[in-house]
Amino acid sequence: MKSSFESPSRVRIALLALVLTTFLGLVAWRLYSIQIIQHHDLGTRAMGQYERRIPVASKRGTIYDRHGRALAISLDAASVFAHPGLVQQPRATASRLSQVLKRPAREIQAKLQSDRPFVWIQRKVDPERAEVVSQLNLPGVGLVPEGKRYYPKKNTAAHLLGFVGVDDRGLEGIELQYDHLLTGGSQSFLSRVDALRRIIFREAEERPVGSDLYLTVDEVIQHVAERKLEAAVQRSEARAGTVIVMDPVTGEILALANTPSYNPNAFGSYPPAFRRNRAVTDPYEPGSAFKMVLAAAALEEGLVTPKDLFYGEDGTIEVAGTKIRDHKRHGWMTFRDVVVFSSNVGAIKVGMKVGKARFYNYITSFGFGVPTGVDLPGESRGLIRRPRDWSRLSLGSLSIGHEVSTTPIQLITAMSAVANGGHLVRPYVLKAVRHPDGSIVESRPLPVRRVISPETARTLTSIFTEVVKRGTGQAAGVAGYSVAGKTGTAQKLDRQTGRYSRTKVVASFVGYVPAEHPRLAILVLIDDPGGTAWGGTVAAPVFREIAQEVLPYLEIPPVPARDKRVARRPDEASSRVN
Amino acid sequence: MYFDRRILSTFDWRMAGITLTLVSVGIITIWSGNLGSPSPVKQALYLRQSLWFILGIFGLLTGALVNYRTLARFAYPIFGVLLVLLLLVSVVGEAGYGAQRWIRIGAWSLQPSEFMKLALIIVLARYFEDYKERLGDLRLLVVPAVVAAVPIFLILRQPDLGTAALLGLLTLSMLLLVGLRVKHLLLLTFAGATLAPVLWSFLKGYQRQRFMVFLYPQLDPLGAGYHITQSKIAVGSGELFGKGLKAASQSQLNFLPASHTDFIFAVLAEQWGFIGCLIILLLYYFLVTRGLEIASDSRDLFGALMAFGIMAMMMVQLVVNIGMVLGVMPVVGVPLPLLSYGGSSLLVTCLGIGLVINVHMRRFIY
Repeated sequence: MKSSFESPSRVRIALLALVLTTFLGLVAWRLYSIQIIQHHDLGTRAMGQYERRIPVASKRGTIYDRHGRALAISLDAASVFAHPGLVQQPRATASRLSQVLKRPAREIQAKLQSDRPFVWIQRKVDPERAEVVSQLNLPGVGLVPEGKRYYPKKNTAAHLLGFVGVDDRGLEGIELQYDHLLTGGSQSFLSRVDALRRIIFREAEERPVGSDLYLTVDEVIQHVAERKLEAAVQRSEARAGTVIVMDPVTGEILALANTPSYNPNAFGSYPPAFRRNRAVTDPYEPGSAFKMVLAAAALEEGLVTPKDLFYGEDGTIEVAGTKIRDHKRHGWMTFRDVVVFSSNVGAIKVGMKVGKARFYNYITSFGFGVPTGVDLPGESRGLIRRPRDWSRLSLGSLSIGHEVSTTPIQLITAMSAVANGGHLVRPYVLKAVRHPDGSIVESRPLPVRRVISPETARTLTSIFTEVVKRGTGQAAGVAGYSVAGKTGTAQKLDRQTGRYSRTKVVASFVGYVPAEHPRLAILVLIDDPGGTAWGGTVAAPVFREIAQEVLPYLEIPPVPARDKRVARRPDEASSRVN
Repeated sequence: MYFDRRILSTFDWRMAGITLTLVSVGIITIWSGNLGSPSPVKQALYLRQSLWFILGIFGLLTGALVNYRTLARFAYPIFGVLLVLLLLVSVVGEAGYGAQRWIRIGAWSLQPSEFMKLALIIVLARYFEDYKERLGDLRLLVVPAVVAAVPIFLILRQPDLGTAALLGLLTLSMLLLVGLRVKHLLLLTFAGATLAPVLWSFLKGYQRQRFMVFLYPQLDPLGAGYHITQSKIAVGSGELFGKGLKAASQSQLNFLPASHTDFIFAVLAEQWGFIGCLIILLLYYFLVTRGLEIASDSRDLFGALMAFGIMAMMMVQLVVNIGMVLGVMPVVGVPLPLLSYGGSSLLVTCLGIGLVINVHMRRFIY
């Protein structure tokens, strides 16, 4: 029966086998073309489809004070997300999540039922709750690691530290200034995305780590400064206040405090004015404290000696048709006493001797009108006009610290130059950086320039010591230490009338201690204290209170009582009458 | 039941072995291709396919051991039953992927159109054997054409262009085998060409679109051309040795649609590369050529026609499916025999291979 069908059929069967062979040959050739020849092209297209750079929050570095006390840390938090398409029982899921996350169930359910492939349920949940969520094991709900910034000392050093936004980027203060260090550079990594744009996280992926920062700030000094400032502002019913404590030799900022302040853990609930770092952003007219620059110019240029006499005109002088008064009537007084008792009449006469051009040179040399370069964001440059724009009144006004505006940081930097023997230094906050690999890079003090000779600096220090000993700044005196400083009381410019207000003042004291070998420069500024207030009555006591606590803390020994006598200096030998 | 020991000794282990290998590769590919899927149903597909495979082994053995002459005797009733099932599908069938192709039996879905392939082969074989003295007579072709046209029409309406075209090609290849003369063939081609515009008007919108995109793939790279583009990218990223089971991102990240059914060859190509593809193609080659050899050696026309029809069916599916994956044929939903996910298709193919083995085993038995 094997021959039951004809041979043509056999031929045709063989034909089919031939067709098959041909086809498979063609397929092989086609495969070769796609898989081998076009591989590079198609492979690249494949990668383009599923590889994405996903921004991922790095583990932000810690901010420490100079002794390694943590001021800002990143907690391991997790963010809860959902793929709504994979959630099986939105209502039940939402109610369970709402119990853990303490959020309205309806709100969560709406997110679970959205038609987007990916939704955040809640960003930055604390670890305990994240753990509960992960144990619930809800289909379609997942967790990704994110850092949550936490400021354990709350308001302490708030203006220095600043804060970060929800995406973990610094928005203010050190957090903003050194964001690139804290975040550790690249904030993204390669991840895979599927056709539905779902992120396929890779388990083993390491989160990038940022560098740790060590600040020049000392938490103890910072705390003292804040406490004393806060008390003083309340006591004097002032609008605001600033304290800066600095090492006058190196420019290291040991403390910087502003009132009103805020808690960076909840920065959003404070008005922006509370978050402003007035110490660097807000220029003000320094008033008598600016006589420091005038005195430095007059002495350095050899125009006066401390013993030169000036006539006080019984407390009133007329400059370009404007009467300027002293708050006390002075007759003849030495140059020394012009500064010690802060005579406006005397200062204006000194100013006339110094002259426009020279005075302007010293003002800019001391760093006014340009930012100090402190490593804090938002620094203002202050305002000093060029001599050609001055009116006939300007020289007189500038001599008593008006028609010029300066930030607190500029003023304390200028005073530090006097304190340290004549060097202007750049104030700074970042002491050291510890990189993720363990290497530590320390900042170095940065001298800007010499502004006065050591002799002039010494003379000025002796004068400023007397300001505290017997002049306007007596309230700043600290028993057992020689304190040098200068008071300032500037009338505020009334924006409505365009005139200087009679009642509103900025009271300040800027000084350093111990006078001969200064370790601390402290600026105290009280903005708009109530009642009749002077720098000497409102700001100087705060200086004392801070110095009294910080000097023993830094183990700076008091000077023996016999050294109270002020040393005579050669440049005081002769005296002239003016 | 009478059982001849010679049957076991002549069992074609090579064909059975190739079948087992191909199905196993298919199950592994279905498993690995859905690793990245968020859906637990898709992740468990390989398990379902494994269960179907067990059924398929039974099908293969049944096909091999039952006397195929019995099948010849019941050819018409079997065909009739399947026609009824097809009618049933259009009434109570289950819909999926925009078509109504399945009948649900408990947890399992059956696709009668798959079984119809086998039934049509058997009925045509029986018919031509009945009239084997008059083979070559043109009038003899009218009845098969009508017999084939009924299920084709029903399947087209589901709609399932792929299976319908398959049945058409199957009928044509069997007609060719039994002696359709060359001039008849030309006539048929002419008729087809005239009928093409008419057929075009019968096509659904998406079917026409697929043809257009096949001709001009750049028409719509994110829409209808998406299948072809993604498939080519998947195949192309395989290179010589493939990316391995777990790194085949193109399919695992869900870029490749229907990766476990019609486009499984693309997943395979991405995972195993050029070498792997060649091995699979060789397995198919040995399987089909062996089947054709058996058809050629058959002791009767029915056995020869049946074995030939089954192999032709496999071959056509191979050509259409792989051609589609490699972008040389339009996107038509035809599963790759033995590899693609799909219980009915797997069962029918196993049954068919069993029948071919059967033809081989019984060629000396009367």
